[in-house]
Amino acid sequence: MLTTTLLAAIFTLAPAVSPDLPARPEEIEFGVLRFETPEASQFRHELSNGVPVYLAPSREFPLVNIALSFKGGDDLDPADAVGLARATAAMIRRGGTTTVSAADLDERFDYLAAIANVGAGKWATSANLNALSSNLDEATALFFDMLRHPAFDQSKLDIWKAETLERMRQRNDDAGPILDREWAALLYGRDHFEARQITRQSLDAITRARMEAFHARICHPGNVIVAVTGDFEVSDMLERLERLLGKGSGWAKGEPVPDPPPPQATFAPGTYHVEKEIPQGKVFIGMRGIARDDPDYFAALVMNDILGGGGFTSRITRRVRSDEGLAYSAGSRLAPEVWYPGEWRAGFQSKNETVALATKIVMEEIERIRTEPVSDEEIETSISQFVETFPRSFESKPAMLSIFVNDEWTRRPPGFWKNWRENVAKVTKEDVRRVAERMLQPDQIAIFVVGRWDEIYPGDRAGRASMSDFFDGNVEHLPLRDPLTQQPVN
Amino acid sequence: MHRNASFRGEPAPLLRSTASLVSRLALALVGALASAAAAQQVEVEEFTLDNGMKFLLVPRSDQPNVIAAGWLAKVGSVNERPGITGISHFFEHMMFKGTNTIGTRAPEEDEAFRMRQKEIRDRINALVWGEQYARYFRGEIDDPWNAANDTPELSRLRAELKQLMDDHREVIVKDEFDAVYARMGGSGMNAFTSHDLTFYFVNVPSNKFELWAWMESDRLDDSVFREFYAERDVVHEERRLRTESTPTGMFQEQFDSLFWVSSPYSWPVIGWTSDLNSYTKEEAWRYWDVYYRPNNLVGVIVGDFDPIEAKATIERYFSRLRRGESDPPPVVTLEVKQIAEQRMNAECDCQPQVEVRYHTVPFNHADSFALEVLAEILNGRTGRLYKGLVEGREIASSARAGQEGRKYAGAFSFDAEVRGDATPAMLEEAWYEILAELQENLVPAEELQKVKNRVAADNFRRLQSNFFLLVQLGYFEGLGDWRYINEAPRRLQAVTAEDLRRVAQKYFAPTNRSVATYLRKAGAAPVDEELAALDARAQGMVRQMLAQIAAIEDEAMLAEMVMRLEAESSRVPPDFKPAFDIVLRRAKARLAELGG
Repeated sequence: MLTTTLLAAIFTLAPAVSPDLPARPEEIEFGVLRFETPEASQFRHELSNGVPVYLAPSREFPLVNIALSFKGGDDLDPADAVGLARATAAMIRRGGTTTVSAADLDERFDYLAAIANVGAGKWATSANLNALSSNLDEATALFFDMLRHPAFDQSKLDIWKAETLERMRQRNDDAGPILDREWAALLYGRDHFEARQITRQSLDAITRARMEAFHARICHPGNVIVAVTGDFEVSDMLERLERLLGKGSGWAKGEPVPDPPPPQATFAPGTYHVEKEIPQGKVFIGMRGIARDDPDYFAALVMNDILGGGGFTSRITRRVRSDEGLAYSAGSRLAPEVWYPGEWRAGFQSKNETVALATKIVMEEIERIRTEPVSDEEIETSISQFVETFPRSFESKPAMLSIFVNDEWTRRPPGFWKNWRENVAKVTKEDVRRVAERMLQPDQIAIFVVGRWDEIYPGDRAGRASMSDFFDGNVEHLPLRDPLTQQPVN
Repeated sequence: MHRNASFRGEPAPLLRSTASLVSRLALALVGALASAAAAQQVEVEEFTLDNGMKFLLVPRSDQPNVIAAGWLAKVGSVNERPGITGISHFFEHMMFKGTNTIGTRAPEEDEAFRMRQKEIRDRINALVWGEQYARYFRGEIDDPWNAANDTPELSRLRAELKQLMDDHREVIVKDEFDAVYARMGGSGMNAFTSHDLTFYFVNVPSNKFELWAWMESDRLDDSVFREFYAERDVVHEERRLRTESTPTGMFQEQFDSLFWVSSPYSWPVIGWTSDLNSYTKEEAWRYWDVYYRPNNLVGVIVGDFDPIEAKATIERYFSRLRRGESDPPPVVTLEVKQIAEQRMNAECDCQPQVEVRYHTVPFNHADSFALEVLAEILNGRTGRLYKGLVEGREIASSARAGQEGRKYAGAFSFDAEVRGDATPAMLEEAWYEILAELQENLVPAEELQKVKNRVAADNFRRLQSNFFLLVQLGYFEGLGDWRYINEAPRRLQAVTAEDLRRVAQKYFAPTNRSVATYLRKAGAAPVDEELAALDARAQGMVRQMLAQIAAIEDEAMLAEMVMRLEAESSRVPPDFKPAFDIVLRRAKARLAELGG
């Protein structure tokens, strides 16, 4: 008792600064984190008709999340009806079913406190239901009726088109979307689905009949992968899905849709500009990159991380933001595509007079990583960060299943995740330099600027850089495009 | 001793039957969901160190291997005053710049650099506040802070400061705070500043909780405000990005200032530009001493950890922080009662839109729950705004409403964007009609129950992510009390139709509203409805002709041109007729402008 009292007194009187703390964080001894990479096969099941189903129950909340991924999205849009995939997805959700009106469907989902969403992406269309486990029967019945028997109510389609048109009108209000659109067109060609835009004309070409055909093409048991997380028993859920989607459901199994087509356009390097009256130029600098299954994937991952992808520990962020204070956000991203090479790009926004200076710094860093080995500290930091944060990719069950679904659609080689950390750890300084030299070729780079050219071109007052420093001062001034027609505006 | 958190309330026995909609509604009216929502509890271990720093621990294992950890300072722009607006946010940036241990190779030299920079910057500030401001007030220069307007003395000092900042890099280990976390598996590290609080957070692997304790207690104990002057440029860029380069950013900032009259909520969190330039280190240290002492801080930990071990680690590290000599001063200025409608008519490169905003009540006020439910009655695709404005009248492309309760005051907003030829004035008028309905009649029971069902389910949804739970606990604690997370569901379920009508009548008086209307700036928009319908070739030709017409100042000349066009009208090929008609119509309009 006396000892306890004495200890308490000593603790109370102790100075605020504890002398026994490690002097630096590297001196802390950490326990071992045991993390086994989950395997898709642990969660994968198949319905009687072969529909793949991934199940990961979790009983913490009385909620169930059912995610259906149908292959096919923007990539399947006909050239004269760009937006068809997105319209179809939106109208599956909004347009009612053959037996439930659109208004009743919304009211019933809402009353059940269920959230149902359908959305088209670049090459897949996803349908999600998040419902209370207590009323899952009715929520799933409604949800699958909606997916299987959509009515595409014309009045709801008219409203969706009107909303879309109003969003299109805002296309040139903000510089960011202008840059995104023009950059995609430069990289993939204006007619590739990565860059195509809905126009007023293509919107007019979207009809109920075309949506019905699109729906029939992608929404069927031969073209879907299901992922379910939340409050359920595995056997119950399999039975439920069998009833709704399996052989006994009577839902005919069609053909899976083909893989997305690669772009045909030839990428043209150079400096490009679109005029926009704003106090800050927005800039992308980049090129076509690598495909996902490229043998240099891991080296490219680390290279990009050191160059600009790793936030404050990366070179572009450090020099453009931290050293020079030229931008709030500056960095780079590596975005490999599955079926064709994706892109690598750096991006920043800076006040007009320092756009050229920040561009120059990015170009210097590209050159440096191509020609000089990165430091030991840089590569160790990068690899260590990738390895240490890897478990977070599988932190939530919906995120984990989403990885497995994506892998199955894209036929990712087995063992990819199991060996991921090991493969990252194997990357050497020479790998980084080699992949930089291969990927970041100076004559293949494009600089794209949206902003006030009269203020951007001359550069900073100290004369450290001007836009004449790049591509011999040649620049292609591209017209702003009419937000509704996407035709050049004079 | 410490139990794992449990979020699992009794599942709501909602709608199981296939009965008609009406009977389903009746079934749910029994109040099943209310009990589910009330049963939901986040179990938090709360404790306070001797120095006054409070901690909230929520151990949970459903998402293994990761801990979301953060701390908040109960300080935001509401604690500032003119002259130092934005300093709370600036601190957020400074807190990543290191200590005498993190971020430097040579602490003593580092300090010497900082002192010399401070001396020069103080002289620059004195010259700008004196001579340059005087020149500005006399109309001799357009901006006292713009380096283009520098006197030779200022120019010299600015160059000297720049050189010193460059030289300083030799002893700085750049962004080491970030690098340490990165190497050891920290991810998602960031911070945000609001009107009422500043919150710093990161995710760490479960075996690295001590790293968090080391890093955070070190920067709270020993931040040195390194790169104090260089970081300002980054904040200026942030301001340009978030406010000045966005379609409505500058207007929204001014609308906020118009709306809040006496409250310190009237200035932006990021601060006014002149204040951003003017911060001194003395101000910064004074601010630090008041607001970044442990008696004004709260730590929040959510995730896969042992609470007993975590508590011991927290005590070991955070006990080194010295309590402030006194508690932060209260915010005493109350918002004055608004006595007349206020209005801002803006033009910008933006979709025509309207916002109608009312002064209401702060966070956790007894009426805040009814106002939250009222917003839900209005929102969503089955809500009154979508049904009334987007679908019914077809005048809006989007519409929403929301109650925002801050620590010391609150506001309720309606905002909507136009569709087609509708105008912001039409949206505003329609809003008043929807409002009148809410003020005069009771919301039907089934409509209210539907919203309550949704609110109850959302209460579960928002607890699922460790990180989101961390942010909510910190945010509620910063505004007043983390227990809001457990109490709000019950209070939302208790709202009655009478409550909704009462608050609609009480807060939505015309004299209590401020209205912002946004029209598309003339000439700014490349959108021309009529032209957009033409093909590209015709568009080009029409544009060229319209430009010529616009340039004509001579009324007689234009009248003659219109006459000739009318004479040609019947001979125009059908393909070109739409384009021709546009030109003719615009020419006539121009003629009318010229008085013809």
